[in-house]
Amino acid sequence: MLKIFGLSVSYGGLRALDEVSLEVGEGEFVTIVGPNGAGKTTLLRAISGSVRSAAGRLEFRGRDMGPLAAHQRAALGIAHVPEGRRVFPSLSVLENLELGSYRRAARPQRAAGLEAVLAMFPVLRERRQQLAGSLSGGEQQMLALGRGLMAQPDLLLLDEPSQGLGPRVVEQIFETIERIRKSRRLTILLVEQRVVEALELCDRGYVLETGRVALEGAHNALLADARVQRAYLGV
Amino acid sequence: MASRSRAWLAVAAVVAVGLVLSFALTERYHHRILTLVFLWAAMGLAWNIIGGYAGQISFGHQAFFGIGAYVTVLLAAKLKFTPWIGMLGGAGAAVLAAVLIGTPTFRLAGIYFGLATLAYPLIFRIVMDYLGYQEVSIPMVRDQPALFMQFAEPRTFDLLALGILAATLVLSRAIESSRLGYSLRAIKENEQAAEAMGVDSFRCKMVAYMLSAAPAAIVGAVYAHAILFVVTPDAVFGVLVIVQTLTVCFVGGVGTLWGPIIGAAIMIPVSEILDTTVGDRLPGIQGVVYGAALMAMMLFAPEGLYWRVRNSVLRRSRDAAGSIRSVLVLPAAPSAARAATSPSATALMDVRGVSKAFLGLQALSDVSFDVREGEILGIIGPNGAGKTTLFNVLNGFLLPDRGDIRWLGASITGLQPHVVCRRGIGRTFQVMRVFPHLSVLENVMVGAFAHGAAPARARASARAALEQVGLADRADVMPTGLTTLELRLMEFARCLATSPRLILLDEPLAGLSTDGVELMSAMIRRAPTANITVVIIEHTIHALIKLADRLVVLDQGRRLAEGLPGDVTRTPAVIEAYLGKRWLARQASTQEPPGRPC
Amino acid sequence: MAGELAQYVVTGLLVGGVYALMSIGLAVIFGVMRVVNFAQGDFMMLGMYLTYFYAVSLGIDPLLGALVTIPPFFLLGLLVHRVFLARVTGGGDPNREMGAQLILTLGLSLIITNATTMILSPTPRGIRTTYATQAFAIGPLLLNQARTYAFLMALLLAAAMYVFLTRTDLGKALRAAADDPEAASYQGINVRAMHGVAFGVGIALVAAAGGLLATYYPIEPNVAVNFIVLMFVAVVLGGLGSIPGAFVGGIVIGLVQSLTLLVLPLQLQNVGVFVAFLVVLYVRPQGLFGRRARTV
Repeated sequence: MLKIFGLSVSYGGLRALDEVSLEVGEGEFVTIVGPNGAGKTTLLRAISGSVRSAAGRLEFRGRDMGPLAAHQRAALGIAHVPEGRRVFPSLSVLENLELGSYRRAARPQRAAGLEAVLAMFPVLRERRQQLAGSLSGGEQQMLALGRGLMAQPDLLLLDEPSQGLGPRVVEQIFETIERIRKSRRLTILLVEQRVVEALELCDRGYVLETGRVALEGAHNALLADARVQRAYLGV
Repeated sequence: MASRSRAWLAVAAVVAVGLVLSFALTERYHHRILTLVFLWAAMGLAWNIIGGYAGQISFGHQAFFGIGAYVTVLLAAKLKFTPWIGMLGGAGAAVLAAVLIGTPTFRLAGIYFGLATLAYPLIFRIVMDYLGYQEVSIPMVRDQPALFMQFAEPRTFDLLALGILAATLVLSRAIESSRLGYSLRAIKENEQAAEAMGVDSFRCKMVAYMLSAAPAAIVGAVYAHAILFVVTPDAVFGVLVIVQTLTVCFVGGVGTLWGPIIGAAIMIPVSEILDTTVGDRLPGIQGVVYGAALMAMMLFAPEGLYWRVRNSVLRRSRDAAGSIRSVLVLPAAPSAARAATSPSATALMDVRGVSKAFLGLQALSDVSFDVREGEILGIIGPNGAGKTTLFNVLNGFLLPDRGDIRWLGASITGLQPHVVCRRGIGRTFQVMRVFPHLSVLENVMVGAFAHGAAPARARASARAALEQVGLADRADVMPTGLTTLELRLMEFARCLATSPRLILLDEPLAGLSTDGVELMSAMIRRAPTANITVVIIEHTIHALIKLADRLVVLDQGRRLAEGLPGDVTRTPAVIEAYLGKRWLARQASTQEPPGRPC
Repeated sequence: MAGELAQYVVTGLLVGGVYALMSIGLAVIFGVMRVVNFAQGDFMMLGMYLTYFYAVSLGIDPLLGALVTIPPFFLLGLLVHRVFLARVTGGGDPNREMGAQLILTLGLSLIITNATTMILSPTPRGIRTTYATQAFAIGPLLLNQARTYAFLMALLLAAAMYVFLTRTDLGKALRAAADDPEAASYQGINVRAMHGVAFGVGIALVAAAGGLLATYYPIEPNVAVNFIVLMFVAVVLGGLGSIPGAFVGGIVIGLVQSLTLLVLPLQLQNVGVFVAFLVVLYVRPQGLFGRRARTV
């Protein structure tokens, strides 16, 4: 479904990604792990279109994404749940979710989609009139996930959903991601720092380090590979 | 240096051209235009000091213009004061007004500053109207008219205006090449970085504002005598004054001596001629012309004509020269090897119980550690651990909610960044904050000025710093022409130029190639031999382990561990923080398996 | 004295309603685009002239005429954004952009005011209606009818705006683009198009406000200068970027302007407003409902 060849991205004068190539097949769950500064977030932003690439090619369902702007890629069915949640703070929970289904293809299913999301995240139903900015970190993450799902996406990009959240909430989030995987026919690309949780859920994984792909493999292979730790801690 | 004396020559040339024009023209009407060109160029230069150099766009400079006009004319009309002295009084009043207006207003950021400056001339206009000064005529004096700035010969007004232009040019040039000029430009490009390099931005802005108010007042005074003859609030506090000022600056080029001159030379004759020829049939033609000029410039050349021409000329010559990039060679290190300098036990900096919360998040939670003289201390931690926040607190950009930071025995908590810098703590930034419109040398000079050096000494200091990092031959290049590594080295040099005893390096290795990492690490490794202690945040753990003497690990704002790199990276708590509890559990339960290639 | 006070308060409220409408327009533009539109007052002036034209040539009552200015000005706003503003915004550097936008809209303001002076004569005009000179008497208070109707219409339009922003997809998309343009683009929202819509809505509102103003205020090319600062004050008071804040700010400014007459003579009426402006900027620049700065 998603093919990336030799992607290079620079910004702020820094080379964030250096000739990265990877693939995500239809229906697969792929994880990208790696330490900070490895370029994981940049990779997702390059896929969803908020960052321009200096070189390389990005194909979604065989179609070159290069000339498309971020909102056009979203319209095609790529949903990006950004790092740090980025919910719309001055809009209510309900309004945030409604906007998730802004793209034309998702609008007809808005009501049904909303029901499904509220069923999956009962706390959101409880707080549906509340302003998103007043929610806790974990609740905002669920809202961001729900918003992403409202788009009825074909490809779901998840950027460090566990970031800044306490351990219990993180468990909940990962459980939810697993549930999402099981209940919908989605292709998922997950970026995470927490190696085991991420690798356990996925089919395949890549390890990014300083802008390059350092390791790749099936999830159980990576889980058993000590080099993953070296990528993070040098030892 | 050649370029500096060239600038003075150019100033002299402009004045000479002005003189020639003044004597060559004969018609009264032409003299009027010439006078206006000189006056508005001078007004533009005055505005440029605060708006162009410092980047604080003021929409209220007509306040000073009007004060100059009114004070001078009222002193002449009521107290028979000669305007030659009166205008100095006007200038003084304007400077006082600048202090009163500037003190609260400079605390405001960006757009708020501009909006605030709008209010003052409006208030003055209304007040003057109300006080009954709707029309103050300049009293016609029959004997000794020259004493009252009344000349029969229009040429005299040109020369007077030219004199003021010359004086303002000299003032501007003097500022440009002084420490104030460098500080202002640094503030404009990146105020935070400037503060971290020791620039007291409030004081600099204030001085610039005062220096820009005085000439504006004098221009106002002369304008009243040469053009108006009757001073009304609208004529001197009104919108047209600021519009003409902004037009000459933005058309000609902001932030340069030549901008207002070019802008005035083009716009004033055009609008005056249009006004005289079709102004009756098309009232407001001047406004349309100015508006169109402003819009056209913002759409096609927002930097102004001067910069647009200069940049295209420079680009062509740079392309012609080709990009000869010499390989960066590390200059010979001082003889003392790394191992020989072992960190002493004296704590230079003592961080005690620092906590900081913002936006509802506890970014730092009771963080304590010390920094020992001569060591390289690494700060690591997973994303969101609070590392940069910690630096911002140490540096003075953030005030901690609780806790104290002690430097050389004294508390520095709550001191402003430029004060912290002058006490000997330098800093680089995670996202590089270069000054893009200053050359490499000039960038580093801003740091060198931290200790009040005169320009010549700052230049020498800066050159020395560039030598230390191996960028001496890049001194006159603009930052856009540098590679990431060279930019990092330049930032490092700029930090070194502030003569620090401790430097805070925020991810200096990010985005560098393997060679770059090697070079930068070598550079950092040498710092303790030059009596500089280093605290470094990094994600590239491999490099940091070789570089650091000790590591402090932060996680979710708390200090998780501290110790030798080899020990810390094997500490279970740290592994857990980075990779998760379950990774740790897995590693513990399984043996070390052979690595499987992809 | 109490009666006098009440009268001033009522007059201030009535006038404040129209100011509130003007200010909402400015707030929408700033909230979504981060542009301070110096030309806002001049578009209002054009709205006044259009309403005058409707009244004089087509016999449409200005209260209705004000409504009819909305469609053409919306389209005008889209056009002006497309041709001019889009080139100067949406880049990378908000700081540099801010300067360029300000000067661009300043230039636009100059062109509009002066071109209008050139084409139409500077003689002030007024729209004659039956209610402009009559007043409702409620107890001891006198409410000028024109101002009262204008106030009610302004409230109506503000309410319509509220419905638009909270009940329609487009309105919510505008608010999302104001909150977080990057995240908005991830939902498929074309942020650049939202800028155009915001600008269109912003000047449509202020043109309508101008039409309402025309029921009791003389129409001339330079009228903008009396109101632009009032609008800025209202928006800053409410909190730059907050639309409900701008509404409240407008009402407050109307009150301030009116109540200033208790202590200062008529000539100095606006000084009260300007001083209030400075006080707000210095004491609480983020205003009453100010949002946190978007940039880190």
